[in-house]
Amino acid sequence: MLLAFRFALASERVSGTAIEANEFPQLSQELGVWAVPRVVVDGEPRWDGAVPEPEFLRRVLA
Amino acid sequence: MPFLRAEEETKVREWFAELERPVELLVALGPEETPRAGSGDVDFGAEMVRVCEALAELGEGVTCRVEQEPAGFPRFPAVSIRPDGRDAGVRYDGLPWGYELGSLVGAIVEAGREEPTLRPDSLAALEQLDRDLALEVFVTPT
Repeated sequence: MLLAFRFALASERVSGTAIEANEFPQLSQELGVWAVPRVVVDGEPRWDGAVPEPEFLRRVLA
Repeated sequence: MPFLRAEEETKVREWFAELERPVELLVALGPEETPRAGSGDVDFGAEMVRVCEALAELGEGVTCRVEQEPAGFPRFPAVSIRPDGRDAGVRYDGLPWGYELGSLVGAIVEAGREEPTLRPDSLAALEQLDRDLALEVFVTPT
């Protein structure tokens, strides 16, 4: 989670939001959240699980 | 009821004492979605205020402000973590409890740094961004 926050703090182009899945079940269902952390980029579900910073960078820019 | 153990509170006070710039927590309250079964009778908005106000008491550089349905918040409750009171696009939607309280504390610590803590190659890549990028991470308290 912190990586998304750190990316947002490093660039005005980036926003980073944590969403508590249990409190927003409708949105979680729409995005197929069955495992956490689930990372969504520009509204598109991309992957589940924590990854190191270089891999996080590669995936969010892919 | 305290929301941090004594040793945790001591650690958070130490981290907040080292903030290089003020951090504002803007708590946004409004209509809430019905949470998943098992969440009990928790008043998420009231708990969000309690947690953020309690965190603000742990460091002079941390402040807390509460607004009803401010612009730019799609879900409630939520908290925007703002370095120097500026919207930097860092937000937590829902109550950060349990394990996730650490994410909110970490966000405050990161927002309180003058310089980004990312690797140089990450910073270089972000400098080249020619579009906005919205990162959302779904989490749970455990």
